[in-house]
Amino acid sequence: MKTRLPIARNASLISCHSCHLLCKGPKKYVVSTMKCPRCGAILHSRKPNSIARTWALILAAAIFYVPANVLPITTVISFGKAQSDTIMSGVIYFIATGLWPIALVIFVASVFVPLVKLTILTFLLISVQRKSTWHQKDRTRLYRFTEIVGRWSMVDVYVVTILVALVNLGSIATIQAGPGAVFFAAVVVITMFAAMSFDPRLIWDVKEDTNE
Amino acid sequence: MNEQQNDETVLNDLPDSVVHTKKRQFSIVWIVPLVAVIIGGWLIYKALSEKGLTITITFNSAEGLEAGKTKIKYKDVELGQVENITLSPNLSQVIVSAQLAKEAGKHLSENSRFWVVRARIGASAISGIGTIFSGAYIEVDFGKPGKKALHFKGLENPPIVTTGLPGRHFILEADRRGSLDIGSMVYYRQIKVGQVVAYQLAQDGKMITFKIFVHAPYHNYVRKNTHFWNASGLDVSLDAKGIRIDTESLATLLVGGIAFDVPKNTRPGDLSEEEAVFILYNSFEDSQQRTYTVKTKWLLHFDGSVRGLSPGAPVEFRGIQIGKVQDINLRLNTKDLSIKIPVIIELEPERLIPDVEFTEDTENKNVKEVPGNVKGIEHLVAKGLRAQLKTGSIITGQKYVDFDFHPDAPVRRVNLEGIYPEIPTLPSTIEEMGEKITKILARLDKLPVEQIGYDLRDTVQNAKRFTHALEEKKTVEHLNTTLQETQQLVAKLRKNAVPEITSALKQAQKSLNAAEAILSSNSTLQHKINIALDELAGAARSIRILTDYLEQHPDALIFGKGKQNED
Repeated sequence: MKTRLPIARNASLISCHSCHLLCKGPKKYVVSTMKCPRCGAILHSRKPNSIARTWALILAAAIFYVPANVLPITTVISFGKAQSDTIMSGVIYFIATGLWPIALVIFVASVFVPLVKLTILTFLLISVQRKSTWHQKDRTRLYRFTEIVGRWSMVDVYVVTILVALVNLGSIATIQAGPGAVFFAAVVVITMFAAMSFDPRLIWDVKEDTNE
Repeated sequence: MNEQQNDETVLNDLPDSVVHTKKRQFSIVWIVPLVAVIIGGWLIYKALSEKGLTITITFNSAEGLEAGKTKIKYKDVELGQVENITLSPNLSQVIVSAQLAKEAGKHLSENSRFWVVRARIGASAISGIGTIFSGAYIEVDFGKPGKKALHFKGLENPPIVTTGLPGRHFILEADRRGSLDIGSMVYYRQIKVGQVVAYQLAQDGKMITFKIFVHAPYHNYVRKNTHFWNASGLDVSLDAKGIRIDTESLATLLVGGIAFDVPKNTRPGDLSEEEAVFILYNSFEDSQQRTYTVKTKWLLHFDGSVRGLSPGAPVEFRGIQIGKVQDINLRLNTKDLSIKIPVIIELEPERLIPDVEFTEDTENKNVKEVPGNVKGIEHLVAKGLRAQLKTGSIITGQKYVDFDFHPDAPVRRVNLEGIYPEIPTLPSTIEEMGEKITKILARLDKLPVEQIGYDLRDTVQNAKRFTHALEEKKTVEHLNTTLQETQQLVAKLRKNAVPEITSALKQAQKSLNAAEAILSSNSTLQHKINIALDELAGAARSIRILTDYLEQHPDALIFGKGKQNED
């Protein structure tokens, strides 16, 4: 059955982001700036430049992912002895001391999830660009997953900031945030932006186009 | 249908959007990965540029060292970190591999030294207390520029002198190590001015060389004529004032020390340069003995045996050392086959202090020249100066050369023919004595002993004859006269003394008769005595009766005799 779903875009209709006024766009999709006739907000049929923007952010996040894991995230100075730890060395430390659950949490939240997010987004982008119709629903589900889980990676950054603020006992023990923490935060934030800038409707646009 | 139419009309009634055609622009979003690339690139560049050298240091023990934590520091500035600690293949040592910052790598050379700074408590100092909390670290001293090196042997103890420390090194030579050790103090007037840096046995094993470091500005006090002495331990001296104990400082008692100064009454010489060599005297007393730089060599020929004279034996002038024997040879004269024993001595003319300061322009020509040169000695030899072998010790038979003035000695001059000028000698006193004894014996030999014997016998015979004559004549006469005189004396005694003795005897007879009359039995005295005795017996009896009564009646003493029959 080839019933065309009434898709706003196909009807050249655009919903305003700000006041949700549905208004007509130009007949042919052109690269131009449209403004909401009611509130004056810029109108987009799809998130503008979504793919390029997401690519840019994913790239930036991927670049920052390296120093985030290589550079020390915390430096514990206890009795004059300074010990710098990267995320992985912390995980290894917890494994070595037998605290498997904590090691797992840290690993999943700080190493695995950002990596998974980056891979998922990359995969989505590539699939969209290749106009793939493969498991569109599942891919949308994946996207949702990245959006939801993304913010939890910030837990690590919060832990570090809280520790730095709390453990400040002069020469007995002091914790300093390492440069890795900054990069890690950057990775998390940038991937969140990347996920935001990705327009999941693009996954489905393919279907409409092919249907057309 | 209606609804759909309605919808369509609604849709158709919707307003058109305002269209601004605009040229597509480069998305600002790409700045984000650009920044990321720049930051990433910068991090990589930084990491690469700071990636220093990997060096290896061997230590005897890795005490306090931790891979990935122990730092390498220079002047407390972090330059690197220990990356790995492994054992050497033969398990005798620990190999520490470390990353060193790039800029530090430039200064690394074969002269660089590494040592572990940890808390150390020594007899003289405590160091590295800070490392108790912070953990040990490896300190580096880059040293003088030299050949590049990446493998180092770590020092077990921190070096005393690090590069750039102002001061000077000096080398001291000593017979014994004493209690000196690396780190022993060096004192100048009891101020700590330096330390022993190293010591080692000389190559021939006959000496120990110490390397000391004297800090600036004290190195200015080390002059060319400075004497160093071992100031370790106590210097106990006992004299008329009592016991005196001297020590440089308490620390020298424990770890030993070296002191230095210019000998008394000498002017400080020129400054010593780096690594100048000095003698380390065993004690302050040793160091104070003056050394004489001017030494002149002379030749002596002794006629007799030189047994007991050895090189190094003292040369004295009236008991004061003025030099020493340098060499004793045996020379054969091939022409006349005579054998000579040339003795080469070394004189220290500085020991002889003239009363006039000699200068180039001394105008007083009467002043003889210093005995340091040949002319000076010539003057003295002309005055009778001679060398003579003398025995220093009767037990060991050690001999020494003695100089003295012998104005009576045969006149001789300084022989200037050989390599060394020759000073005339005199035979030794024992030789002299021997000669004299032989002369005396020779003379004795010549004496007419037999004749003397005959003469003596004659004399004795004469004496005998003389006594015989005496016996025959005068003695008898003398005896006769003596007897006659005795006879006369007895006759005189008989004539005068006998009548007086008889009268005295008569008087004694009379006194005895009188005494007899008084003491005879029928005399009055006797009778009276008898009566008195009877009375006494009566009295004694009544006393007895009284006492008996009193014994029975003691109360009679108080109450009187009373009635007899009362009982």
